[in-house]
Amino acid sequence: MSFLALRSLRQKLVALVLLTTLVALVVALGAMVAYDLRVYHRGLIDDMNTQAALLGRTSAAALTFDDPRVAQENLGLLRFRSQVGAAAIYTARGAAFARFQREGEARGAPAAPEAEGVRIEARDLLVFKRIVQDGEFVGTVFLRADYEMYDRVLDYAGIAAAVLALALLVAFLMTARMQRIVTHPILDIARIAREVIGRGDYSRRAQKLSEDEVGALVDSFNAMLAEIERRTGALQREVAERARAEGEVLRLNEVLEARVRERTAQLEAANRELEAFCYSVSHDLRAPLRAIDGFSQALVEDHGAGVPEGGRRYLARIQSSAKRMGQLIEDLLNLSRVSRGGLERAPVDLGEMARQVLAELQQQEPQRSVEVQIEDGMRVAADPRLLRAGLENLLANAWKFTAKTGRPRIEVGVLRDGPVAIYFVRDNGAGFDMAYADKLFGAFQRLHAVNDFPGTGIGLATVQRIVNRHGGRIWADGHVGKGAAFFFTLEYGEDRRKEPRARMEAGR
Amino acid sequence: MNLRALVLALACLLAPASAAAQGDARAAEVRIKAAFLYKFCDFVEWPTAAFAAPGDAFTVGVVGADALADELAAVVAQRSVHGRPVVVRKLMQGAPLAGLHLLFVGGRDGGRLPEALAAAKGRPTLTVTEAEDGGDPGSVINFVLVADKVRFDVALPPAEAGGLKISARLLAVARKVVAGSS
Repeated sequence: MSFLALRSLRQKLVALVLLTTLVALVVALGAMVAYDLRVYHRGLIDDMNTQAALLGRTSAAALTFDDPRVAQENLGLLRFRSQVGAAAIYTARGAAFARFQREGEARGAPAAPEAEGVRIEARDLLVFKRIVQDGEFVGTVFLRADYEMYDRVLDYAGIAAAVLALALLVAFLMTARMQRIVTHPILDIARIAREVIGRGDYSRRAQKLSEDEVGALVDSFNAMLAEIERRTGALQREVAERARAEGEVLRLNEVLEARVRERTAQLEAANRELEAFCYSVSHDLRAPLRAIDGFSQALVEDHGAGVPEGGRRYLARIQSSAKRMGQLIEDLLNLSRVSRGGLERAPVDLGEMARQVLAELQQQEPQRSVEVQIEDGMRVAADPRLLRAGLENLLANAWKFTAKTGRPRIEVGVLRDGPVAIYFVRDNGAGFDMAYADKLFGAFQRLHAVNDFPGTGIGLATVQRIVNRHGGRIWADGHVGKGAAFFFTLEYGEDRRKEPRARMEAGR
Repeated sequence: MNLRALVLALACLLAPASAAAQGDARAAEVRIKAAFLYKFCDFVEWPTAAFAAPGDAFTVGVVGADALADELAAVVAQRSVHGRPVVVRKLMQGAPLAGLHLLFVGGRDGGRLPEALAAAKGRPTLTVTEAEDGGDPGSVINFVLVADKVRFDVALPPAEAGGLKISARLLAVARKVVAGSS
């Protein structure tokens, strides 16, 4: 229905009341009018039937004794019945016996009677009634009365319209005033709700104006507001609490970072001191060592003849030990050196550098014959000085541990594992036990007897330091008597999980 | 004498035409009066004492009007009065009148009337006459001719004396009603 589309509750209420009033009035008036018209219709028919019967009865004697004067007198009485316009009495043979016609009435009675009955013709009620005297048909009465149904319908329609208009007007005025009783509490709630939404002020409360359903609604609404207010408060407190906690965390982080910086600085300082100490110790140790070496050399050369055979052997051992100590100091200095100083990357051909290192090694031991295989095109961005030191260590190891192998072979190459390049140096020398793989890169960790393979045990520690400084990692794979392989990367971002793939087998 | 003979002769000459016309009018009058006699019964109530038993016939006596009696017999042949069969009797002058419910005394001279009506007086008998207009015939109903139409007068005192009740509707169509004592 269209009124449901009205925007206001007031309008809806008024429309509802008016509609209800209209329906009730239409039904009531319709019922009353219908009833009244029915009563009128029946009443008129009964009345005229009775009138006709009476006329018949009073005129029966006149008909019987053929006295039209008396019948005419009887009909004349109808002038007191204003509804009756015309009347007639017919003899049993159908001839007109007496007639009545009201003054001013245009139409008279029909010339001949019809069958008994009542019928409505336009605005007339026509009655024909047989007159029976002691079981004998003596004549017929005719009556024509005004049938005022249509006038009544019109009158009622006018009255109904007036009543409807008046009732609707009164209903409208009453509703317009009384709808406040219903709408005011609801509109009050709506207003409060709008204010609450608009201002976010949950402390507002609707006023309870009645004890009906709207009153219950007000209670529920207020309870809801109270709950929202409580929860909002709790939420705000929680947010504040959380913000405070975050601030605390941030503060603690700062404290922690400051502490880390402090500790790092301390550690760095300690490390520098340690390295400086190591360097100066190594450096300073060389002077007395050179004196020991130099004077024992001078003793052999100047007074060698006077020294007995046993004494010369001792002197030789003193010189050997001094050389070893010198080497040891040199290595320590190297280790210390690769840890210090800046890292300057430059394009380097790794294969070319390996070839040079191996050439030097071949020059030192010309009698050895080692099969060398170096992959081409291994261009890397690294510090040339440090990379060369690392390669020297790795290749020297390979050179050294293949000394007792039947057909020595050294291999330098690269594996591609995704974007990461893994370089390797592989030999088929003495190898090592994988159980000690984690000890390989510690300083002074030797896996072989000095007599078998000479060395200080600092080399792999130096290599690891160099690789680490490039941001890479180094690991090894090997078997006793089957050779060793060293893998390393020179870039950051390597995924540790890929380490196990790059084993000796991977390169073959 | 000659004058009388002449009148007779004239009468004989004229008789066929006027007598025929007079005869027709007379026959119609008799027929109407017979019908009226029968119809009067509908508007009159007899006391129950007038009938010896519930199934007794309604008896009509006709004095001095045989044609009317015949006509009346023809009228009531298939009809009844108040649910009773109707018997029409032609009575001689002076015949006993007991048991009659309706007595018609014909004739306009009025010679026979007093004795006939005197015999019926006090009985539940509706007496009807056709006496000349003007006097008091002493009967309940008296036929008169008004402008060649059969009308009647009603006198209530003799009816009341006989215990008869006459309907007001009958009185309404009577030419003249002689009111009763009460």
